[in-house]
Amino acid sequence: MLDAFSRAVVSADSKGAPIGSADLVNLRKYVSDANKRIDATLAITQNVSCIAADAIAGMVCENTGMTQPGGNCYPTRRMAACLRDGEIILRYVSYALLAGDPSVLDDRCLNGLKETYMALGVPIANAIRAVEIMKIASVAIMTETNTGRKMFDGINSGSGAQCKEIAAEAASYFDRVISALS
Amino acid sequence: MKSAVTTVVIAADAAGRFPSLSDIEAVKGSFDRAPARMEAAEKLAAGLDKVTIDAVDAVYGKGSYDEANKDKCVRDINHYLRLINYCLVTGGTGPLDEWGISGMREVIRAQRLPTVAYIEAFAHIRDRVCVPRDMSPQAAAEFKALLDYLINALS
Repeated sequence: MLDAFSRAVVSADSKGAPIGSADLVNLRKYVSDANKRIDATLAITQNVSCIAADAIAGMVCENTGMTQPGGNCYPTRRMAACLRDGEIILRYVSYALLAGDPSVLDDRCLNGLKETYMALGVPIANAIRAVEIMKIASVAIMTETNTGRKMFDGINSGSGAQCKEIAAEAASYFDRVISALS
Repeated sequence: MKSAVTTVVIAADAAGRFPSLSDIEAVKGSFDRAPARMEAAEKLAAGLDKVTIDAVDAVYGKGSYDEANKDKCVRDINHYLRLINYCLVTGGTGPLDEWGISGMREVIRAQRLPTVAYIEAFAHIRDRVCVPRDMSPQAAAEFKALLDYLINALS
């Protein structure tokens, strides 16, 4: 896997050139945003079960047949597998967010995920809907635009509005999951 | 590619857990050191060719090595300094380990090049780094630590 730094190194190495001032501009931005990045990661890790459970529950509410006999979330064993997968996707998104690079998400989570779901008979459209809800929830918690209380303790202690750019990056990782499943 | 962040993420993934507070502390520590590392990387990139020629001239100027090997030595020192530049950027020894050190002894021996000349050249570069003319003290410390790491691997 790569992070923002090693991504720059791999691309410089393919040119055989050292990393100079021009390439360092983006990396300096990554470093200066480090605290916001850490806060955004904490926003996910401190609310994993909440985000995943809400997303799966939301998906089921929109398709009530899923928990009835014959539905894809019946019996509870299959519902539990669904919750587990929601948390796994969140985990890889949190890794990608911390690293500032989607390679860990691509290599270790998304590669072959759609094929696995199709083989297991998981309804792809519903899986995508659950990921969409997780995206909306995560972004709302990061930017503190959720209703009710602030949902995470960050180290930056700034306001969630400052996390907007990082939240957009996080949203792009969820979008990556969605396009891998589509 | 080993860096401060990837090491933490790979360990967390192996255990199947989310990044913990101590993982995040470790990442934060590497971010805190990053400005000094990037300064060193930037200064090294700007003076890479000059530093290489300077060091190789000093080592080969003493007459103890075959002049025929000088060009190869310049090429290799240049390559290793580039890898050090990458290590300064990643904050870990990944680029040196993966692209420079594994197999290095075998290659140098196969080419019948004197390893000692390389060590002398890197030691020359290390001892010539001037604070604050070339870079800040923290940046110089990061740069020298990597030179020492490479010298140890060559010795």
